[in-house]
Amino acid sequence: MATRPVEDNARRSAAAPFVGPQDVAGKNWAGEVPPPGEYPYTRGIHREMYRKRIWTMRQFAGFGSADQTNQRFKYLLEHGQTGLSTAFDLPTLMGRDSDDPLALGEVGRCGVAISSLDDMRRLFDGIALDQVSTSMTINAPAAILLAFYIAVAQERGIGADQLRGTLQNDILKEFHAQNEYVFPPRPSVKLVIDTIEYGAQHMPLWNTVSISGYHIREAGASAVEEMAFTLADGMCYTEESLARGLDVDEFAKRLSFFFDVHNDFFEEIAKFRAARRIWARTMRHKYQAQHERSWWLRCHAQTAGVTLTEQQPLNNVVRVAYQAMAAVLGGTQSLHTNSMDETLALPTEQAVKVALRTQQILAHETNVTQVADPLGGSWFIEKLTDEVEREADAIFREIDALGGVIPAIEQGYFRRRIAETAMRQNNAFDNGEAVVVGVNKFVDDDYVRVPILKIDPAVEKQQVARLAQMKKDRDVKRHGAALAALDRAARDGENLMPHLIAGAQAGATVGEMMNTMANVFGRYDGGPEW
Amino acid sequence: MNSMSELPIRILLAKIGLDGHDRGVKVLARSFRDAGFDVIYTGLWQTAQSSMLAALQEDIDVVGVSLLSAAHLTVMPEVLRWRKELGIEDVPVVLGGIVPEDEHQQLLDMGCAAVFNPGSPVTEIIATMKRLAEQRRRMSAAEAIRGYDDHQDTALAQLLTHIARGQLDGTWTPPAGKARIIGVTGAPGVGKSSFIGRLGKGLCARGHRVAVVAVDPSSPVHGGALLGDRLRMMWGEPEENFFIRSLSSGKVYGGLGPRCAEIVQAFSGYGFDYVLVESVGAGQSDTAIHDIVERTLLLLMPESGDAIQFSKAGIMEIADAFVINKCDLAGADATVGQLKSALEGDRPVFRASTVLNEGIDAVVDWITQ
Ligand SMILES: Nc1nc2c(ncn2[C@@H]2O[C@H](COP(=O)(O)OP(=O)(O)OP(=O)(O)O)[C@@H](O)[C@H]2O)c(=O)[nH]1
Ligand SMILES: [Mg+2]
Repeated sequence: MATRPVEDNARRSAAAPFVGPQDVAGKNWAGEVPPPGEYPYTRGIHREMYRKRIWTMRQFAGFGSADQTNQRFKYLLEHGQTGLSTAFDLPTLMGRDSDDPLALGEVGRCGVAISSLDDMRRLFDGIALDQVSTSMTINAPAAILLAFYIAVAQERGIGADQLRGTLQNDILKEFHAQNEYVFPPRPSVKLVIDTIEYGAQHMPLWNTVSISGYHIREAGASAVEEMAFTLADGMCYTEESLARGLDVDEFAKRLSFFFDVHNDFFEEIAKFRAARRIWARTMRHKYQAQHERSWWLRCHAQTAGVTLTEQQPLNNVVRVAYQAMAAVLGGTQSLHTNSMDETLALPTEQAVKVALRTQQILAHETNVTQVADPLGGSWFIEKLTDEVEREADAIFREIDALGGVIPAIEQGYFRRRIAETAMRQNNAFDNGEAVVVGVNKFVDDDYVRVPILKIDPAVEKQQVARLAQMKKDRDVKRHGAALAALDRAARDGENLMPHLIAGAQAGATVGEMMNTMANVFGRYDGGPEW
Repeated sequence: MNSMSELPIRILLAKIGLDGHDRGVKVLARSFRDAGFDVIYTGLWQTAQSSMLAALQEDIDVVGVSLLSAAHLTVMPEVLRWRKELGIEDVPVVLGGIVPEDEHQQLLDMGCAAVFNPGSPVTEIIATMKRLAEQRRRMSAAEAIRGYDDHQDTALAQLLTHIARGQLDGTWTPPAGKARIIGVTGAPGVGKSSFIGRLGKGLCARGHRVAVVAVDPSSPVHGGALLGDRLRMMWGEPEENFFIRSLSSGKVYGGLGPRCAEIVQAFSGYGFDYVLVESVGAGQSDTAIHDIVERTLLLLMPESGDAIQFSKAGIMEIADAFVINKCDLAGADATVGQLKSALEGDRPVFRASTVLNEGIDAVVDWITQ
């Protein structure tokens, strides 16, 4: 199918030099943009917004071994942070153990390496799991890492119902964009629904899925595509959960979202506003949710990694500041600001601090927190919000015409469309139509290079050795029985969460449990979809 | 070498390791195609070994490795080691990735032909690829024939290029081989390549040597092509006795590329036991494959409506057997039923799922009987 690229904001606004009341004539103000805190929440989900509570400043971190990250966690907790955010290394993200041949050179590099329950124990050693909120950025093996977390808590006498936190667990965007999938789309989604069901029954404080547009955008999608694909994914999880027999109000309030904030300032703000409106209407009318909380689109935002440049890295501080402001004017619930040196490697401590200070300046010096949705009622913002919504609707219709999100994945729709947009952006950059300061305009070679953090290769050796020891020490019979039970349950289509927890307790590793499931579900090779 | 211009430059784009960031590599692949190159993309999660093996088999002019995980100082030495091991040191390797400035020289000294960063202009990359391709020293036809006779895979690979370019027309014929030649055809996206990958591995597992000729369409506008079949066939562990060659169709109609028959014969003469041929996603009348193979398998998939649509078409007539692929999807039974009732005679109908690796053995049995 030929894809027609979404009109981007630049072209959209090229139509007129300014916007006036005639552009929003006939608008249903009371129905579409009622005060903040009122359905359909175009202006935000809370009436008082940041006056009552500043957004959460959540900086994502994790590196090296479980012990190193544990030290870091404790340091953060001592300094008043209450939420922990865990980044895993690439092998763990791909459901492979640290000793897997493909893990070579990657162990502990971009996050912490967790292969077994033992690693998870050490990661949270001495941390009160009933008091912290933990977010885990993991997808294909998310159910296994959640099982590890639950098992560690159980050992300490803490029930699953006391655990608070968020699991990213959004496999659909992996198929669209980030490529960290393992099984084919259908069984992958089935596994997500297993966690949603388990969460609805046992974990009332846990956010089971963080439906993410961030990676879709970073892969090259436009703002509208990012938002529409993400909401379509949310609808897909909702429908699959309903098909499982769950009640919409049982799980909908535990769904949250995660968006990118790019450079196009007003378009980004409009994106957040339109997303809230679409989601509220869909949950209320299409899926018949009764509780107000089920209608809310709660989200986390992160500034756009792709906009950072290696050249003149100090410029990135400025980009991040504008993007952060757009996220806040858009009404986000939490925010991560990127560090200026992230194009090259993990950020240095100095750079991380500047990124956090950027948020603090925004929160405490600029006074943008004074009123909710300060741009509401601007002719331009309202018109743009309507346009973004309309274009998103067109995308929903395309997806429906293909039979829904999963069939659209199977037909390559998302990947093709993202590749198309990425190509268009790249051409615009190449021919100078899209300016990147310091790269294709205002270039100079006389700039300060920021220092780069390097990871000690010894981490990999130690981790591999520890894993070998753990495998030697475990009870072979119990381990074999647990994997056999998992295999059987996967074949019978049962909810796998209890079996993954049992597997964790029997010393089964991430890689072993993934393999057991892959034998039943198959492995997916995705495809390029140019 | 003027004859270089006769067929497109062949580029391999490889993603090695677990990093899944493929935005850059995909943009490049398209830009390369639009620049008139034939581009083979390995897909994700490759190893240094599988990438270099692909470069050998495909007779690649320049390899581009894309690494965004910052593991280049671990991975590139491996790549270059395999390049040497496999005897293809004539093939230049360039790296694209997030490489700190102070490491560029280190990589060049190691043997990389060029290093690009995410901000490098595509036009500059294309120019470099062209220059490197033109500088590459390839075997003469005579050298390649000698090597072929000595059973060197590198020579086989280069000989196939000479054949495809027509440089051996009328001057060389391969020794008579005893390969059995099997065609696989079917609508675009039905799973031909994935199926051939499984079939090939199934045949290898029984001790056979298997070659594949996989044809993908060229862009009518730019002349370049994105050759995507290999990616579907060869993922996971590389298989020693499994040789895949991707071809672009050029302006040849009928579902095959230029001198496809001669290439098949060269594989046979080299000693392969089976040669599997994938045609361009076939329309109903793309029946050229029938003329060069011994048996043709037609792939269909559930609920595609193909069964009925194809029942009157020429392509149904040339099939010796049918495979309903993607049987993991709903509607397989209905499609099998429809097909059986539309068929006269007793041509076999197999059910398979390449994702689940099911139903392949029965087809291997039928082919080898
Ligand atoms: N569900 C399912 N999907 C499959 C199966 N086999 C292949 N696919 C998917 O179908 C798509 C096309 O597969 P290919 O093997 O490239 O098909 P092809 O017929 O070679 O395609 P062209 O060469 O482009 O004509 C890919 O997304 C595969 O992952 C299967 O058995 N089940
Ligand atoms: Mg194919």
